[in-house]
Amino acid sequence: MTQSQTEQLDPLTSTLILSLDAELYSRDVLYGASYVFIDRAYVLLDREDSRYVVRLRGKHKLPEDAMRAMAGEFENELLAQALRERVAKANQGIIEGITALAISGATTAQLPAGDDPLAMDGFVEDPAGLGTPWEGKKGSVDG
Amino acid sequence: MSSANPGACGVKIRFHRELYAEDAIAAAAATFSDYAKFAVATDGEHFVVEVSDVDAEVEGDVVAEFCNFALANSAATGRRGDA
Repeated sequence: MTQSQTEQLDPLTSTLILSLDAELYSRDVLYGASYVFIDRAYVLLDREDSRYVVRLRGKHKLPEDAMRAMAGEFENELLAQALRERVAKANQGIIEGITALAISGATTAQLPAGDDPLAMDGFVEDPAGLGTPWEGKKGSVDG
Repeated sequence: MSSANPGACGVKIRFHRELYAEDAIAAAAATFSDYAKFAVATDGEHFVVEVSDVDAEVEGDVVAEFCNFALANSAATGRRGDA
């Protein structure tokens, strides 16, 4: 039996049924690939023994060649999702490390109490009144 | 294979319990409760959802859209659960 195969293709109902080896693809990979197709097809998943059964029905009527293309795209998407999953797992430690570093950096970078950032910039005194809004000086614009 | 006959009344849909979460199905049913009635039961490895009283005036395929919602909810739930 092949690893992935088209079990049924019905152009009259634009329905396509795929059978996939469940040992090759995790459930998350199957979810990910299915989710990509949810906007253009009705997707129903099932499991029969060691195989996932994917039923795709186009939301619009599709010719047979378009359905075959959709089957190929689904299988490509499975591979892409499997690769994404593998990369995410491989980089999980790095991602967690960077996130932890960013969070700890943000929390320890706070200024000590009493240190006014304005004072540090030298803008506490405003002898020319540059910080006073126009309305405060001259009254309302409308008035 | 699970079956769905979109647009018909009294449709039974079988969702494999390994792939669909009961909460996800319930949430999808709640989403479409204005357009049809949903009864969820368990049958071995499947949840069986009987959809009836589908609003004939609704444009689109209520049953099939319900299936998509159940899948999307299950995917979200499953991924959160694995994390």
